[in-house]
Amino acid sequence: MDFKRVCQVFLLTSSLLVSSLPVSARVVSAAARPASTFEEAAEEKFVFGQVDQDLLSQIKLLDERFEKEGVVYHEPGLDAYLNRVGTAVLADQKLENVEWKFRALRDPVPNAFALPNGSIYVNTGLLALLDDENQLAAVLAHEVTHVSHRHTYLQNRSVRKKILTVNILNTIANWNPLVGSAGLAVSLIANISPLLLALSMIGYSKDQEKEADLEGLKAATAAGFAPEGMPNSFKAMQRDIEGEQLNSFYSDHPKLQDRINYTTSSIAPGAKKLSDDDAKTAKADYLALMETVDRHNVELAINEARFRSAVYVSQKLVNLHPDSSENVFYLAESYRTLGPRNAELTAQQLTSDAKKKATKTRSKRTLEELDAELLATPEGQAAWKINSEKAETLFLRALELNRFNAPAHRGLGMLYERLNRKEDAASEYAKYLELAPNAIDTERIRRRISVLRGSR
Amino acid sequence: MRLSLRLAFAILCCMLVHVCAANVEAQYLSPQVIEKKVTIHSAAILPAKVEITKESAKGTEMMVAESADISAKVIEAVGQTLQQKKISVVPNSFEPTAMDETRKYKLADIQTRYDALLPKLVKKSKDVKKARFTLGDEVMLLNVHKDADVLVFIRGQGRVFTKGKTAFSLINIFSFDFPFTQITVGVVDARTGDVLVFTKPLSASKVLKDQKALNKMIEKSLKKLPAAT
Repeated sequence: MDFKRVCQVFLLTSSLLVSSLPVSARVVSAAARPASTFEEAAEEKFVFGQVDQDLLSQIKLLDERFEKEGVVYHEPGLDAYLNRVGTAVLADQKLENVEWKFRALRDPVPNAFALPNGSIYVNTGLLALLDDENQLAAVLAHEVTHVSHRHTYLQNRSVRKKILTVNILNTIANWNPLVGSAGLAVSLIANISPLLLALSMIGYSKDQEKEADLEGLKAATAAGFAPEGMPNSFKAMQRDIEGEQLNSFYSDHPKLQDRINYTTSSIAPGAKKLSDDDAKTAKADYLALMETVDRHNVELAINEARFRSAVYVSQKLVNLHPDSSENVFYLAESYRTLGPRNAELTAQQLTSDAKKKATKTRSKRTLEELDAELLATPEGQAAWKINSEKAETLFLRALELNRFNAPAHRGLGMLYERLNRKEDAASEYAKYLELAPNAIDTERIRRRISVLRGSR
Repeated sequence: MRLSLRLAFAILCCMLVHVCAANVEAQYLSPQVIEKKVTIHSAAILPAKVEITKESAKGTEMMVAESADISAKVIEAVGQTLQQKKISVVPNSFEPTAMDETRKYKLADIQTRYDALLPKLVKKSKDVKKARFTLGDEVMLLNVHKDADVLVFIRGQGRVFTKGKTAFSLINIFSFDFPFTQITVGVVDARTGDVLVFTKPLSASKVLKDQKALNKMIEKSLKKLPAAT
């Protein structure tokens, strides 16, 4: 019995020593850590341990896998552009085990992330949401800070320590005789430690995010980009087009409004500011550079049922070049696939409760079921009437601008098929095949014609 | 005495979990297959995504290379099972080096569509019997071999425990934290995108190291799939 007690005391003491477990209010103190600590940490030389090397080797393999699986978007102009902006904010930083690469990821969700080996990915969804180069530079500078301050390694080390402690505590609690105040205390800590662990991870991560925001702001400004790019990039991300920004329990970034506030207040009073004309030019230049990737993003958004995002981005494209048959086609396609949904979420749909309910429904229903349910409501029918009319007008406009725009015929065919105008649909499909006999989807369209004409 | 009793109970639990887990094989066939409206003669197997992780007392680590290896092994096992049912497997045209960017993107998009459907397939697998799930005719954009009647999607996850983690899981037996492997196989009509067959065998992690056990697991999980005549 005595030996058991000694073991318990030893395990408890060692577990608390192994890690500064978040049993106390450490979460709060981390968030309130003064800025100077970040700078000191950044200056310290990072020494790679075995655990960091292991993580690095896995990350390198993961990076290669992204390429193999076709999730990295390659377009020579975009690759060169991302590299140019990324290199500018880097300010010639050379770090051990880091090879800087700036790439676009084929994902319509607005996000960016950095791998500790220096691979920085910006989702096509975020590229499409940003308004100018200053905002892009801010995003890249933020991610560069995560790499240069070795945040992933530090987070990995911290989490490992904490999980070990929780495991030890759980073991003590399970084998504790549960008598006396010590036993009760151990049980209590073991029961609440997973919760504290989660809380501590959030706090630590938020801390790193804030550091990345502020250091990124400095780096982007030093590279000659307008500092308001940082708060403006958060404002761009605040557009909740799909109604998916939920204030969940676990969120690794500080709230966007907080980020806007603290980055705005960190901009030096005499810092470079864009005039209205400069801002307009910067926006137009950026949009022109992003035209191809934005079109690609519309396709991805439609594939992933992010129809409102597709409408938003393709409308931007049409605003940029209203006479581009291709851009008009993408807007038409977005309205066609939007189906019985409204193009913009209403204030009621943007309430927290409505968003939670919508998320739950999406997780339960298939896309076809959601469409059918909406079409059974008067609102859904009204939305479909508006969207189908808009789509038809836009498809016809795209063809007016370029009568050889084959995808516009295909889009019209799909629209007519859904409207049960079988002959019109088959005729449009036939025109598509005539104009694009070697397209990737010829078999698919031939089959549709056969079904429409009742031959199978 | 008390300790030995606990240990005996722990071992008993482990054995029970192992025996039960190895036999949990749920298979769901759509009415089109049951009523023989669709007969499968040929299949194209898409690149599998089986993710395994190493769990130690200090947390979870990725096993990227091992995941790629096991994915290849599962593809092999599924291919063998299909061939035993006289369903031919069309040659793999999804080697990353053999694909141009457009084809790579199309494949990634179709895989994404399947991944979006997968949680519903796993949660409401029985609804496959009601022909509830489809990927749409976008699957035809893959332009797989003309003869292919179906596309086979393979997903999976597995956990490998280190010795330390095994010790913790045995000591904390009631946390029900054990190594396992779950594979899901979805058979989808290559023209309509309808989900025809879905299976989700669950097993102990030993199948990750033992090709024979893996083959057996897959074979059992596709037992109900009718053979091509």
